[in-house]
Amino acid sequence: MMFNKDNLGELFGKVGVGNQTNLEIMGSNRDISVGEIFMITSTRDGHERVFFFRVLGLQNYLRQVDDMSRVASTLMVEGDAYLSGIERNMLLDVQGRMLGYAECIDNKWVFRSPRRLPDHLASVYRPKRGISDSIVSTMLESQTSGEMYVGDLQVGEATLDVPVMIPSKFLPMHVGIFGSTGSGKSNLMMVLIKSLIDTNIEANTNPDGEVLRISAFCIDPHDEFAKGVDKYGIHHIVEAMSPTLRSEVLGNFYYLTTHLRATPRDVKKYAKEIRVKWNEIQPRDLYSITEFTPQMNSFIDAMYAAKNEDWIAEILEMEDEPEGMSTPKGTMSAVQRRLRFLKRSPIFIKDGTSILDDIYEAMETGRILVVNTSLMSDTEQFLLTTVVTRTLSDMRRAVKSSGNLGDFEKQGQMRLPKSFFSRVKKMARSFYGRGGVSDSTEVKNPRNLPVIQITVEEAPSILNPELMKGRSVFKDISRQGRKFNIGLLVVSQQVSVLDNVILSQMNTEINLRMGNEREIRACIDNASVNISGFENEFRVMARGEALLTASYRELPLPVKIPLFDTIFERDKDKYKSKKSSKKREKHIL
Amino acid sequence: MLEKILTDKFRKLLRTVLEDIQNQQDRRDEEEFAKDEERIKKDLLDTVESYPADIVLDEDFLVAAVDGSGTENFGMLDDIRIHLLSTATVILDTNTQKGSPFSIMERAAMEAELGEQPHLDMHWHSSVRHDAKNKMAESLANIYPNKDPTDFVMHFFRDELGPQIKSFSDLDSTDFARHKSKLENMVSLISRAGYLTNPVVHDELRKVSEYAAIRKILTSQFEPKYILIDGAMSVFMHYVLKYPSMPGGFMLRELCSLARNKGVILCAVSKNHTIPFAHRIANMAADMFGAEAKWFCLLPSKNDSNGGLHIYTDRTYIPPRLAVPYLFSFSRDNRPSRIDFDRIWWLKNIFVRGDPVTTRANEKQLFRDLEFMSRDARWYGYPVALALAHEACKLSYEDLGLAREVYRDILRASNQDPRRAVPLREDYNL
Repeated sequence: MMFNKDNLGELFGKVGVGNQTNLEIMGSNRDISVGEIFMITSTRDGHERVFFFRVLGLQNYLRQVDDMSRVASTLMVEGDAYLSGIERNMLLDVQGRMLGYAECIDNKWVFRSPRRLPDHLASVYRPKRGISDSIVSTMLESQTSGEMYVGDLQVGEATLDVPVMIPSKFLPMHVGIFGSTGSGKSNLMMVLIKSLIDTNIEANTNPDGEVLRISAFCIDPHDEFAKGVDKYGIHHIVEAMSPTLRSEVLGNFYYLTTHLRATPRDVKKYAKEIRVKWNEIQPRDLYSITEFTPQMNSFIDAMYAAKNEDWIAEILEMEDEPEGMSTPKGTMSAVQRRLRFLKRSPIFIKDGTSILDDIYEAMETGRILVVNTSLMSDTEQFLLTTVVTRTLSDMRRAVKSSGNLGDFEKQGQMRLPKSFFSRVKKMARSFYGRGGVSDSTEVKNPRNLPVIQITVEEAPSILNPELMKGRSVFKDISRQGRKFNIGLLVVSQQVSVLDNVILSQMNTEINLRMGNEREIRACIDNASVNISGFENEFRVMARGEALLTASYRELPLPVKIPLFDTIFERDKDKYKSKKSSKKREKHIL
Repeated sequence: MLEKILTDKFRKLLRTVLEDIQNQQDRRDEEEFAKDEERIKKDLLDTVESYPADIVLDEDFLVAAVDGSGTENFGMLDDIRIHLLSTATVILDTNTQKGSPFSIMERAAMEAELGEQPHLDMHWHSSVRHDAKNKMAESLANIYPNKDPTDFVMHFFRDELGPQIKSFSDLDSTDFARHKSKLENMVSLISRAGYLTNPVVHDELRKVSEYAAIRKILTSQFEPKYILIDGAMSVFMHYVLKYPSMPGGFMLRELCSLARNKGVILCAVSKNHTIPFAHRIANMAADMFGAEAKWFCLLPSKNDSNGGLHIYTDRTYIPPRLAVPYLFSFSRDNRPSRIDFDRIWWLKNIFVRGDPVTTRANEKQLFRDLEFMSRDARWYGYPVALALAHEACKLSYEDLGLAREVYRDILRASNQDPRRAVPLREDYNL
């Protein structure tokens, strides 16, 4: 035996009937809950394996009693009845699903999908925190390891000290966070942001290590990430850092808002106002967030062809239909009506200073941005997300299509708004050149650039089948984001209304509590691993509990997402003690 | 067959048989029962005054129970039948002082004294002449702990003839002197040799296996107040020899004697019994005491004052030799059961000559205890220790299936045809 069975936890029961998918276990009369995970040891044909089993249903079982109702009624009717020695006959009939099995091959634990069956009457162990953490962590390393911490492995209502992570290399293959109102999405987002900051601190502390920095453009629709929901927020992490570390990991700002003056004073130090110029918006940005008639599309395309990046200003200032347009009369007015929100918007401006350069820089240097969209309209929020996503992906696409920086500049000029590109091209050369900035310098592979994670909040509004049918920016990103190391973090209360393109490209799902049976069904259907039969689990999920599924893992992982306040309290001293890369160098010298 | 059973003709046939029984047997019994009714009501039937549910006994006590199971047809090898026997002992503590009534004694403690539980035994014999008898004697000698027949047969004669019979040689002065040589070994104790069919052999072995378990309890460090056994205290007597026709009869008397000496109350409880008019006695009890009453009814013998009941005058097996049977019911939902006690013990501990009031008080105390031990919700009205022993010893269809699988494996391993383990007719799916 490669491991000590005592470390698996408490001996709970024996395997009864079942197959490689569903098993029935006869166990002791313990306070088991749906969702608990048990481990089953097996040595069939000399192969030592530990099977993982998840409880989906429970039933009281009394040995020697075929008719429980009769016994219960006798106890009721005959007031003096007792049950002699019944404790040892009181068992739990536990039904559940086989999740897979771990086996040690060449001194390394590997985990496999449920395609085998444990021994007859194999022993079943119930993992316990403080006893089983280490062995479970070792056996499930391939299923739980990574850089982005999500929560702890949940076994029923308790958790093991087994952190569940998402590998950063899979972030460009898109992550979905699905949960109804009150399921804990905001807390999860804060936990993820903290985890990204922690990863970046680690990458900063060990610049020669394997950990890459991760960038994130995090939409905060309720302005709660910075200051937190209860006691602490992301801002407290920022404040807990030394100035040098803060500057290295977060730069000189992390918070974007529509109204800087309305920002709390302590956050204002690290805040910038969101302003995007009209000439940085391209027609497909708008096509990605709202539907236009074919005539409107033709009109806009024609105007964009004629006026390039000034197309919005031109259209909004037109009084008469332009000459030579093939579109029907009235199209111009219709388009103007659609674009008029840009005139009213405080963030989309005709003239002034754009924030897009700063966002671009932050994203290419592995930084986290918290974007307060609480004072934006839905359209403004969607357009901002789209413009940022498209800009970043076009920049990366330009790199991917180039051999050297000279090519890159040509590609960039072709793909991106001129004024924007001319402002950032110098900076871009420093990001993308392999040890130089001259035209002949080879460009880096985008896969070696920081992973960029872009939050798409209220995703059904822009990732719905109607918009995704057209020329949506997100259709390209969902299909090709991995080439450019750009991933979407799709946050939604519903799964059923999302477009199949994005769902099929999504490789990691964090499924929180869902509101209704239709969404539960959709979550199960959409999951990257087979979680059919988990309906009851979804029905009893509490706030902050999730089922993490990923196409690169065999095991659907039940996760308990800790409260942000709890993990910040736990870790806050670490931020003070973390050394920056400069200090480290100094120390080496 | 079904098409025949579902016909009116079959119904008519059945109806005729029942009418026949009614006309011949029931009518005669009805007349006999009418003579007993008044006596049953007045002298023999009474209520059980049960302990309250939360009773804390001054002295908690142990209750032991033994039950056996088995099959005479575990396996076949040509004309040889292999019998499988299983016997289980259960010991419970009334445990009222700790608030958890009838707790089960730890298996390890019990096995240390009484051996492995449940205990399995096997037996086989062929159809060769005398083989059944010889092999049965051999198995009985193996199973029963007292290997000396001259020792265990003595108890029957002492109970039958009186305390003057103290040793085997004391039989010299009795009518049994001429049979002494037959009483000295197990083979000759089997005097019903002509009827040694497999079921008869199996029943005797099973009974003796249970007796062996009881003897182990009686000679162990445990001191139960009650030992319960499944069945009746019936002893089949040899018509000519006037003593038990099977060794088991003698062994039962030895157990009764050992129990008396140790102050243990030995009870034999029969769920299935053939006491005639038990249902009428139950109706009588319901009329007298109410439908929910718990009751008992003595079934007197011809040696008791006023003699036995008319209803079983010609049913010589009631009461059994040297036993006192009662009918009882502790649950409104169940039909009455029967319980037998050792008559010698009963005369000494329950019956008080010339004092029916004290006798009744003793009976009531006895049944009060028995009722208290029969309140488990799973088998309400039946002694829980016996029910648990039954559960422990029973060989289910699945158990037997697996055991037979092992048997086939062993045949296979010894290069024998595993089909020898199954009846020949199974080859034809019959």
